[in-house]
Order: sequence, then C-alpha cells, then structure tokens
Amino acid sequence: MTNVTADMSNPPPTSALPAIASRGHGGPSTLQRLAQQPRVVIGGGIVLAILLVAIFAPWLAPHDPLGQDLLHMLAPPMWMEGGSADFPLGTDSLGRCVLSRVLFGARVALLVALCSALGAMIVGSTLAIVAGYFGGKIDRLICYIVDLWMSFPPVVLSLILLVGLGTGVDKVILAVVLVDWTRFCRVVRADVLVTRQRDYVNAARLMGFSHLRTMLREVLPAVLPLMITLFSIEMGVATIVEATLSFIGLSVPPEMTTWGQMLADGRGDIRTALWCMLVPVFAIILTVLGCNLLGDGLRVALDPRLRSRGE
Amino acid sequence: MLSLINITLSTKAHGKPVELLRNVSFTLQRGQVLGLVGESGAGKSMIGKLISGIPPEGFEVSRGRILFDDLDLMALNREQWRSLLGRRIAYIPQEPLTALNPVMTIGQTFDEHLMLLGIPGQERAAMILKQLESVHLPNVKDMVQRYPHQLSGGQCQRVLIAMAYAANPSLIIADEPTTALDVVSQARVLSLLREQQRIHETAVILITHDLRLAAHVCDHIAVLYAGEQIEYGPAREVLRAPRHPYTKALHEATPDVQGPQRVLAQLKGQMPGVSLLASMTGCRFAPRCPGRNDACEHGQSELRETAAGHWVRCASACEIRPMPALQATAGESTALPWSAPGGQPEAAPIVELKNVMLRYTAKRGWFGRNKVENRAVDDFSLQIQPGEFVGIVGESGSGKSSVARLIVGTEQPSSGEVIINGIDRRQAGRDVMHLVREQVQMIFQDPHSALNPRRSVMQLLTQAYEIDHHGAGATLRPRQEQARLLLQDVGLPPDCLERFPTQLSGGQKQRVNIGRALCMMPRLLVADEIVSGLDVSVQAQILNLLLELNREHGIGLLLISHDLSVVRYLCSRVLVMQAGKVVEQGRTEDVFANPQHAYTRLLLEAVPPADASVQWPPVAAAA
Repeated sequence: MTNVTADMSNPPPTSALPAIASRGHGGPSTLQRLAQQPRVVIGGGIVLAILLVAIFAPWLAPHDPLGQDLLHMLAPPMWMEGGSADFPLGTDSLGRCVLSRVLFGARVALLVALCSALGAMIVGSTLAIVAGYFGGKIDRLICYIVDLWMSFPPVVLSLILLVGLGTGVDKVILAVVLVDWTRFCRVVRADVLVTRQRDYVNAARLMGFSHLRTMLREVLPAVLPLMITLFSIEMGVATIVEATLSFIGLSVPPEMTTWGQMLADGRGDIRTALWCMLVPVFAIILTVLGCNLLGDGLRVALDPRLRSRGE
Repeated sequence: MLSLINITLSTKAHGKPVELLRNVSFTLQRGQVLGLVGESGAGKSMIGKLISGIPPEGFEVSRGRILFDDLDLMALNREQWRSLLGRRIAYIPQEPLTALNPVMTIGQTFDEHLMLLGIPGQERAAMILKQLESVHLPNVKDMVQRYPHQLSGGQCQRVLIAMAYAANPSLIIADEPTTALDVVSQARVLSLLREQQRIHETAVILITHDLRLAAHVCDHIAVLYAGEQIEYGPAREVLRAPRHPYTKALHEATPDVQGPQRVLAQLKGQMPGVSLLASMTGCRFAPRCPGRNDACEHGQSELRETAAGHWVRCASACEIRPMPALQATAGESTALPWSAPGGQPEAAPIVELKNVMLRYTAKRGWFGRNKVENRAVDDFSLQIQPGEFVGIVGESGSGKSSVARLIVGTEQPSSGEVIINGIDRRQAGRDVMHLVREQVQMIFQDPHSALNPRRSVMQLLTQAYEIDHHGAGATLRPRQEQARLLLQDVGLPPDCLERFPTQLSGGQKQRVNIGRALCMMPRLLVADEIVSGLDVSVQAQILNLLLELNREHGIGLLLISHDLSVVRYLCSRVLVMQAGKVVEQGRTEDVFANPQHAYTRLLLEAVPPADASVQWPPVAAAA
C-alpha cells in the first residue's frame, strides 16, 4: 500500500508532502542509523578503545615492555596470592610486565589490522570492480587468478611469503594483503555484477561517461557499504593471522612486543603461569570480537534491504 | 457462495489507526467471475490475500465478515483457514516464472502439489498429464520433464492454472495473472481461464488494473480506489456507462486501438498513501475529483444503487449530472488538437538504419563445435525524420528492443549500417562520437533501476554535465539553472530538485528519467516500453508530456511497445515486427484500420476493445 502511484502535472498538494517525506527524507540519516545499531556501538567502542590504548601505550604502561626484572619472574597477577600491585597482571618467565606487554602488543596488532585490511580492500575491490564491470574475458581471467590463489592453503602461503621476504611489520602486512585480497574480490565482484545490470549504469555510458568515470561515480558508491563492512571483518582476520605468524616466530623481530609472541613465550610455563597465555588470548578475542561486531552492525545499518525490514 | 460484508482492514501508521480497506462488500455466486479493478495502491491485492487467509503482517480485520459457502472465515483459526487453501480456494500468482521452483521440473512441482492434496502416488502421473492437456499445452509428456525457465511466461501461467484446477476448487483468486505477459499470451491465457472456469463452474476473483480487460472477462466488476469500493455492477454495464468519476477517468485515460482518436483525460494528483488516509474525512477520491463539491469533503458516502445491480459510492450526484471537467475533454474527443507527430519529411533523417542484421551465435558442446545462429534483427531498414514519432510493436522476443540497442549503440550490428546524424556509428572516431551520442538518448523501461539512488534529482537531471569534454563547464550554477528548466519541461514541482529517487513516486521517477535524457537536447529519444510499468492515469500523463515536448522542442521519438493503443496515440508511423523481421509498416492509422498481415491482425485482436458489446477474448486465440 505504500506504492504511491500517480504524480502529476501539478505540484502534489502540500498535504501529500509529509507523507512522502516520512518515507524517505525524514528517515534517520546514516549516522543516526549507525548509532541505533547496538552492534555498531559496542563493536566500534571496543575497536576505538584498543586504538586509544595502542596510541597511548607508553603513558599507560607501568613498565618497559622489554624490561626484565629477574627478581620477579613468573609473578602472579595482583589479586592472586603472592601478586603485587607493581605488576598488575603478573610477569612472564623473564620477569617482564604482562600488562605493559599486552598494551604495547596492541600497537603491532592494530597497525597490521588496519594497514593490511586497507591494502586487501584496495587490491581486491579494484580488481573486483574491473572484473564485474567489464565482464567477459577480463572477468574470467581475474576469476581464474582468484580461484588459483584461493587453492593455496592460506597459512602455508603466508609462511612461504614470510620465509622469502624476511621478518618485519611491513612484510607481515604484505603477506596478509597477498593472502586475503581474494576475499574482497569474490564478494565485491558479486555486488558489482548486480549493480552493473542496473539501467543507471547503462544510462551513464550512453550519456558519454568514460569507463573510469562510470566505475567511480556509479558503481563504486553502490558497493562502498559492502567494502566498509568487509574491511572491519578483515581487521579481525588480520589480527589472528598476525598473532599466528608471530606465535611461530615469523612475524616481527623479537624486540617488538606482539600478542603472538607472548603466547609463544608463555607456552612453556602453561602449567605454572597460566596468566602469561590467558592475557594475550583475551586481548585477541576482544579485538576480533569488536571488529566482527562492528562489521556485522555496519552490514545491517548500511544495507538498504535489511534496513527496510527493521524499520 | 462467497460474500464479504463490510470488511474493514486496519493498521497503524505513525500511531494513528488507518482503515486501509473500508467497508468492502460484495457477493460472488458459483460459476461467476468478479473483477477487482484498481490502480496500484488501491488495495485490490490485499483483498485477495485476505480471502486466501494470508493477511499481511501488521494488519487486522477490525470489522466485517467473510462468508465462504456456509463457513464464517473470520471464525476459523489460522490452521483451518489455511487448510482450505489449495483445496477449495486456489491462488494464481502474478509472476508465473517466480512462482515455480526453478530447480524442479514441471512434473515434480505438479507432483508435489498433488501429494499435498492427498492424491495417491500411483494416480498422480496420469493426472498430471490429463491436467496439463486440459490447459492446451503441447507435448505434455515432454513438458513434465522441463524446467520452468525452458517454458515461456504464458506456458508457465498455464501450468499454474492447471495446478489451481487440479483440486477442483470452488473459488480461484487470480492476482494479475497476465500482467507479466505480452498481449497475445494475455488473450490466450484469459480465454483459457474463462474456459476452465465454465467447465468446472468455479467462482473466480480476477484482480487486475485493466478496466477493459476485466469488463470483457468478468461478470461483475468492483472498482477500488484507496481501499474503498467505489463502484460495483455488471461488468459490461460498468464499462459502457461508468457512474463514478474515477471509473470514468480510468476509462478515458486509456487510449483506444480503434475508433476516433481523442485526447486522453488525465487525473491530477495521486492516490493518497497510507499515512494520508488517516487524516481524510470525506470521500477519498474528493481531492482529485473534477466534479467535487463541499459535501464530498465531509462525511462518508454509502454505496447507492443507481440502476439495477449497479452500485456507486459518491456523495454528490455527480454520477448523474454531466461532469464538468471530464465532459469538456469528451467534447473535444472527436478530434485531436494535434495529429501524431509526423516530423519534417524533407529534412535529412536523424537516424538511418540500412539492412541491419544482428546475429547471435550460440556455441554448444565441447569447444563450441556446434554453432547455432539466432537472428535477433534480420534485414532491418528504417529512417526517422527529425520530430517524427515512430512506433515499433511486436510481442516479446520479436527483436524490437534489439533495434533500440542498435540505435543507441550498446549493440553493434553484424552487418549493415547504423547512420546517426549523417555519421556512420562504426566509423565515428573519438572526436565526433559525442555528436552521435548527444543526438540520440534513451529512456529506460524501469525508472526505478534507471536512476542512481545515491544521486539527487538535480544531479540526475544534469548528469550529462559530468561528461569529460564538458570538463570545466560543470560548475554548479549553470547546472542548477539547467536542472530547473528541465524540471519545468517535465512538469515536476521545483522542490523536487533536492530529493532522491526513493522519495519520488513511479510517475515522478519516469519524468526525471525523461528529463535526464533531454538534458543535452537530443533530437531523438528512444523509449523502450516506458509506460508499461505505470498505472493508467499516470501513463496518460506521460504520453501527453511526450507530445508536449515534441511541440515545444521538436523532439523525435522511437517508441517501442507491446501496447498497440499507446503506439496509436503517439506515433504517426508504425512498424510491426515478428521474429526479427518487419512484417508490416506504414502510417499508423492505415495499419491499424486495415491490417494486411495476419500477425498484425492477431496483435490487434488481442487488445481488449473499448466497446463493451464486442466479444473478447477472441475464440480463435484459445487454439
């Protein structure tokens, strides 16, 4: 019944305007809609908090993350028997403060998450838009490459890459981008294919828009919400990949603190000092959860189809 | 057998209760066909859904009763009501292709349906064949093996009709069963439906937007407007002498395919939406009614019987008095104030197609060894003069849309020449390409899909300013000026400029669509089925707009349509296409008055005539 039919040769009576407005214009703006999604608020809050922690780690951390205090090896967290307020979350086998290490670990984790998600998004989406827009042979070629790429086990692929490239944060980012761009490419291409069929893309071409302009002005805005959603999920994935790689010692030089390294270091004392592993595990879980919640919320808030059902 | 007594369906919009359907009452006898007629938003599908026991969520029946045989449907619980569906009440949906499961063969779908009806397994196979034969499907043994996408729309609809009749129901609800089909299939499906209905003595509720079609197929008609039943009477009587001003307007907004040409009367405004209904006190049609008086604004009117069995809901007596506004246009109706635009015959043609062929080769088998050639357009020649309105008609798959794509350049001819403004499209270099492009613009069929939802109306109308060679010219000021002019041209209010497509109605979107094509002042518009998705009264407005644009700017039009009456109203010349070939062409009046080719006659016969006394659908179409 909302299917308002006729319009007409005269301006619609003024009384008809509120009816129309209430359907479209008066609706909440994108920002308001985002704020109404609890998942966006919680997920975004978590990600933002971790971001702040990463930035202000030098001021927040009570100790140098690499500073060894051999007198306090494997000290338990402060609420456990034998713990002290000096080391709120205890120390590891070399007497380094676990809290300081986990705070500093957020820096590498977030840097890798943001940069590699951005890189994967740019590479994957560009190829996806080109493939979906032009179709035909170009599309087939790009799809073959994606298929071939995805047939490598991701962990093995990144291991090979890192062994070849050496260690360092930039290498880790490059490895994640090279492994994960295919995810963007697959999903975004499907959306581009749908958009490509819309008459407005055709209309732009007939009007004389160049291919590049059509892609940027007509196709890209339509798939942007999907890209943003994938971006935030990819951040979570990149966090796990980075932790995995540093766990096996292939990620960054030992003088940089990462959550994966903390896991690797704590593994030997798992029976005596469980906190050495639990703290970084909890940090990873929280980060990934935040990213996934944010991504899921964005998907609902930015997808017009899900939105209309909700309202 | 079925009676609705004062059915009122309510919902809440913005906290206020709204009566979406108000006091709808009718009775339907065994073996009779009732037509529910109205434009989109009138609530006609809502009634169909309500009777089949699937009222949309958030709505409740606040008053009234539905009696079916001796059952009070409102007293039944949902389970009992649903159990009637398929057995005693059958439903024929609008989109035959989407209604059939694409991964099941026709036989499997049918078998499942029969299983649900409780028919034992060993009898089913024979029954399927018998049912499919009864709806005149060819090669039924082969048909049960096929998948829905391998059938035409008309064939799918036949399968659905066969399934509906399998349980021998006493009531069938057909919701726009032919809207998705072209004219010829429409006539065939309707005559089949009518034939089955007579054999089984079923009662049928036919929901449609086409008053003429309903008048010819149904026994009685109920006309709906904004949830109110405004007229009810014997079908032919309603078409011959409509009483309610809205029914009259619907009738006069439909162009004729035969008889004298007349100006299409257009209604102002639009049907009120849900949120507006709550604040309306009087007759819901009053704001648009040409014969309204003060009484109409207040108080609801009751259905009154004006002639034997002919009921009308209109407070003032305007159904008896001659109506001022509509009567005036009826007076002019003997002659058009213009003739269909013929253009300038001596000028150089704006578009010229010479012996154009468009072939598709489908490759089958390993490495495409078996090549199947398909000629979408076969030896096609056409010249369009500046300012001329030319129509191409034909059923779906006749190649008429391919011609449009060839002219605008989204498709290249396999052989032959496409010459636009004296330049061969294929030889045009980059430097002159924009001269070719700007001469010919396309108006798309689906205004919803043709407008980028992320652009405002202003940006849409003047999108052409963003083309590369305009470069620096794309500053804001001249763009806004141009957008305002275009807005006037297409008859939209100035406050539309900042709106987005989702905030416009279907007719308004189509106007923006036309305005965008006009931006660079092309000399020819190519319009592919631009009014087929619109309601009758909106269609009339768009058609008149196109004629006006021709008078003001001398724009030519290539209209591609399956609707012959629309082509006759606009075009001075017409081409009839069948299977990629032109089978007949000439002046529209000559071709329609005296069709030479059998196919042209078939198309013309398939259009429901305006004259109530003519027998339609033609018996021959059933074969």
